[in-house]
Amino acid sequence: MHELAIAEAVIEQVQRELHRAGQRGRVHRVELSIGRLSGVNCDSLRFAFDLLAPGTIVEGATLHINQPTATCVCRACGKRTPIEELVVSCPACNSEQISIEGGRDLLLQSVDVEGPCESSPPRKF
Amino acid sequence: MRIVAAKKILKANDQVAAKNRDLLSGAGVCCVNVLGSPGSGKTTFIEALLKHFGGRIRAAVIEGDIAGTIDAERIEALGVPALQINTEGACHLDAPMVAAALRELDLNGVQLLFIENVGNLVCPASFDLGEHLRIVVLSVSEGDDKAVKYPAVFQSAQAVCITKTDLSPYIDFNLSRIMADVRRLNPGASCFQVAALRGEGVPAVAEWLAEHLHTGRSDFGHSGQK
Ligand SMILES: Nc1nc2c(ncn2[C@@H]2O[C@H](COP(=O)(O)OP(=O)(O)O)[C@@H](O)[C@H]2O)c(=O)[nH]1
Ligand SMILES: [Mg+2]
Ligand SMILES: [Zn+2]
Repeated sequence: MHELAIAEAVIEQVQRELHRAGQRGRVHRVELSIGRLSGVNCDSLRFAFDLLAPGTIVEGATLHINQPTATCVCRACGKRTPIEELVVSCPACNSEQISIEGGRDLLLQSVDVEGPCESSPPRKF
Repeated sequence: MRIVAAKKILKANDQVAAKNRDLLSGAGVCCVNVLGSPGSGKTTFIEALLKHFGGRIRAAVIEGDIAGTIDAERIEALGVPALQINTEGACHLDAPMVAAALRELDLNGVQLLFIENVGNLVCPASFDLGEHLRIVVLSVSEGDDKAVKYPAVFQSAQAVCITKTDLSPYIDFNLSRIMADVRRLNPGASCFQVAALRGEGVPAVAEWLAEHLHTGRSDFGHSGQK
């Protein structure tokens, strides 16, 4: 279950980003990018995130996960085709003279935090 | 407000890994991370290489296991210094664990450091330990579809070793299929076939490793995520 370790790293990374930006507000959204071929299971990652979040700065935050595709690069027809899962031949021409690129990155894309721009001024009645 | 980070989630691990790599390169040590399923033959493979090198190349081994010291004892029985890391449940080694092990290990005179990762084809793939080379060990009894099922680990390696080839006659394992899959995933990877218990195929791997030892102290191939 390395998703637990990944979720832990996400929370630490969010902490560092907030610190760097000098923000102390509540985090309400965390956006990740988990490559399709990274071997990280997004359901397990969500589960782990929800498990670890209480008591941390991401408590109550929603987790948004993008899953960028990998690319099938074909040496026969020259096409670069985005793929959501592994293929053994080129989706365009069926050639097996292909290589697979990308789709492995694990990124923290953005953090939405309650801060100056969003905190509404106290209402007056 | 939105903070745009666009940073690697495992950046903290990667930073420690980079420090490990610098330390090892500086000490003239080539570090090899060995990955594979439980029982794929990682320890036997490392033992076979150590036996092949004899005293000609000075080696050390870090053994990663969830619990126990059996593998480190096997290595020590060959007269090679070994250090056991117990991950206490974690399914992979990470760079801080290796950093701690490196503080314990006497690297003086060591040229080659093997790290046997926790048996697992999924999790260790994401964690750079600071190795220079990554070798995936896959035994024929695990099936020829494993590169397609676990692409990340095969993509991240500099070499893929198909082990227990002495069992091929009894098992339906299509070597050309997995070789083709590996080439598609990782065109630059070197592929080897090994029957480690008999020592077959071991010299070719040893030669490949020795080449990496001799192509520059600080400029070993660089593993980890691109
Ligand atoms: N037939 C055969 N068995 C092997 C070979 N290499 C390892 N084994 C056996 O596979 C089992 C697991 O090996 P081990 O090295 O402990 O695997 P690890 O868990 O990946 O370290 C042991 O019973 C070994 O004797 C091989 O080349 N041929
Ligand atoms: Mg072992
Ligand atoms: Zn094509």
